[in-house]
Amino acid sequence: MAKPKVASDWLAGCAGCHMSFLDMDERIIELTKLVDLRATPITDLKEPDKEGVDVGILEGGIANSYNEEVAIRMRERCKILVALGDCAVFGGVPAMRNFCGADEALKRAYIETESTDESRKIPDDPELSVAQHVRPVGDVVKVDLYLPGCAPSADAIFYALAELAQGRMPEINDLTNDWH
Amino acid sequence: MINLTVNELPVEVEPGSTVLEAVQKAGFKVPTLCYHPKLVPYGACRLCLVEVEGARTLQPSCTVPATEGMKVHTDTEKTKAARHFVLSMLFSERNHFCMYCQSTDGDCDLQQAAYNESMNHWPITPAYKPYYVDTSHPDFILDNNRCIICRRCVRTCAELVGNHTLGIEERGSANILVADGNVPLGESTCISCGNCVQVCPTGALFDRHSMYQGRDTDLTHTKSICMDCSVGCYRVVKTRDNRLVRIDGDMDATFADGLLCEKGRYTPLKESLVRVNQPLIRREGEFQPISWEDALNVVSTQLKAHDSAEIKAFISGRQSIENLSAFQSFFKENYNIGQTALFGHDESAAVSIELSREFGAFESNLSVLLDADAAIVLGADLIDDYQVAGFMLKRKLSDQFNLVMVTNRENKLADNFANRLVTVGNNFEQIVKLLACYKDGGVCDETDKIIENEGLKAHRAYRLLESVQTWQHPVIIIGKEFAKLENLETLRNLVSYSHEVGAKVIILKGDTNSFAASLLGLELNPEIESSPVAFYALGDGHACHHALDGMKNSGFKIVQTSYMNELAELADIILPCKIWAEEEGHYLTTDGRIELNRQAITAGELQRSVSEVLIDLSEKSGFSLQPDWQAIVTDRISSIVLA
Repeated sequence: MAKPKVASDWLAGCAGCHMSFLDMDERIIELTKLVDLRATPITDLKEPDKEGVDVGILEGGIANSYNEEVAIRMRERCKILVALGDCAVFGGVPAMRNFCGADEALKRAYIETESTDESRKIPDDPELSVAQHVRPVGDVVKVDLYLPGCAPSADAIFYALAELAQGRMPEINDLTNDWH
Repeated sequence: MINLTVNELPVEVEPGSTVLEAVQKAGFKVPTLCYHPKLVPYGACRLCLVEVEGARTLQPSCTVPATEGMKVHTDTEKTKAARHFVLSMLFSERNHFCMYCQSTDGDCDLQQAAYNESMNHWPITPAYKPYYVDTSHPDFILDNNRCIICRRCVRTCAELVGNHTLGIEERGSANILVADGNVPLGESTCISCGNCVQVCPTGALFDRHSMYQGRDTDLTHTKSICMDCSVGCYRVVKTRDNRLVRIDGDMDATFADGLLCEKGRYTPLKESLVRVNQPLIRREGEFQPISWEDALNVVSTQLKAHDSAEIKAFISGRQSIENLSAFQSFFKENYNIGQTALFGHDESAAVSIELSREFGAFESNLSVLLDADAAIVLGADLIDDYQVAGFMLKRKLSDQFNLVMVTNRENKLADNFANRLVTVGNNFEQIVKLLACYKDGGVCDETDKIIENEGLKAHRAYRLLESVQTWQHPVIIIGKEFAKLENLETLRNLVSYSHEVGAKVIILKGDTNSFAASLLGLELNPEIESSPVAFYALGDGHACHHALDGMKNSGFKIVQTSYMNELAELADIILPCKIWAEEEGHYLTTDGRIELNRQAITAGELQRSVSEVLIDLSEKSGFSLQPDWQAIVTDRISSIVLA
């Protein structure tokens, strides 16, 4: 039997969940014996295979039109979608701006901060993605497995991926459920 | 007894028990949020819903009484779905993002409830509506965004502390927690006792001193006793890396419901004076470091150089019985110096001991305040001092309590009660006589005169006096203004009166350990006059002004203190001292409990306790110090205070 294919991507997050993934250390070698790691932000291949993968993993919340596009593409190309970390599961840190709105947050970041340079201009290149009300991944596409945590521990990620690789749906309970 | 089944298991409970109590007795767990064992059940959060056979809907187990033959189920599909729904709604309402909350992983009941239900995401997207954050209070922060409106804080403030500061404003999802009908907490009637912060199940009320310094499980917990006053509340001292982080009331304790006041909870964390880290000697007007060996030699030489009858020694009432005992033993028994006394003006402990010679054990345990329906407070301030004892009275419902108060210093205790007779002054005797007249439904010819002299409101005074004969559990509380040796005759009459009417008596005894000091033979309320050599064991206490006056003209002044303060500035030699958290020691409470203050942190290398210093000094003088406080203190208490 061919090894299940796994791809991941990050949206509005801090990359910490992927760091936590790397934090499983030498167990990554074990894991690669079980799965075929395909496109991830930290490997050469950046987009999940057009032919599809078995497991897709998303870190981060959906904060703009680009995040939304990436999430939809991952959903279309994977069988099982994992929301990894508090931002993907709940909205997390980027969702803090929902309490004031994106306009207020951009104004604070690009115009009002003490470190702002003279231009005091909110970037408005038409190629830039459009900021949105921040949503967890599950509000945009169907999520099959929620793995919360800020970040989820390497143990929890290893457990979840090892279970998925062996065709079982992991149980996120006392040991692995940690919202911080 | 009532018999019912919980998850098919038979259980027997006392009549009046709730279903929740039956469930717990049967050994099952139902998650709760608004429920707190010290508070009246409220039924606000609906997390404790259970299925009762025959009932039309799910029932909140915390408020529903257990009845005979009831069949309760805690873990059915229906209850699980209900709990999941309740939690989903709670998470959807406000900002319950754990990743940027101070109270998480073991410190948050809401998060724990979600874990227990194996929730790993929120089915309902949050509303992202911002709520008011109040940072005006010096000790804690109120973040309404984290509030779940369980009202534990509001109920604690009212039911336990009797302060009625906190309340809920607006309706529905606009509900916010406010102080005094919406003023900033820092400007409100809040007395900073922090009990609301301790019972908050989420991060809505959190402590400034300990925030972001680790979760509760990261801290070392030391169960101890509060030593700010002689009430003797139980507390848990929380430390990390040899640092005081937080102090909580010990809610496992039955005494005073585990409450603390500001002085017990926050004041020790806010000490801003500079610590004394090594022995210092005054040379050419400046303090210079000196070794312990040299310091002890200097002290020893000075003590020997003068007629012992002229030497005087004073100690703080905050010192443990061990230290007080070593002090008395060293100076009185071995040196036989002129005076050994406690700092301060309070001689109530001596009064108590004096009265017990005639009346035997005439005083009561502080817990009688809980059952009291009337209190006669004479010369005591239960708002500023002995605050937790005050909480036990303040929490009484206004129409079910009668208060008589005579005091030199006006305080706000009376504001809580409609049925009251309050007079400012020293007229203790006259008011007691007046009450005595009315005890059997009698009248007093002089009532009108007294009312006029004392400037009382006649309708209020008469209403109170007419209630005297209905009092079932009156308590007489006597404080330092009245408990003086010069008032002994009046106090004797008062104790006799208390026996006649069946009133309990409590004499509040000065500083933390004044009672023990007095039993050990230390003088209370001393005249602090000048002497050729004087030893001041101040410890972590604060310098009092009458000690300073007497000190100015003294010869060689030895001060053992934890902090640099006005008293230390006058010293010829300063010996560094441990603070309360750095040494173990016993304390005798005002109602005769001997309690242990446990060591929570370690002192610096050169900081020593009073008894450690005195033991070293006695070796230099060639005698061994063997104080035996147990025999003196333990044996006497039972003849003064009733358990």
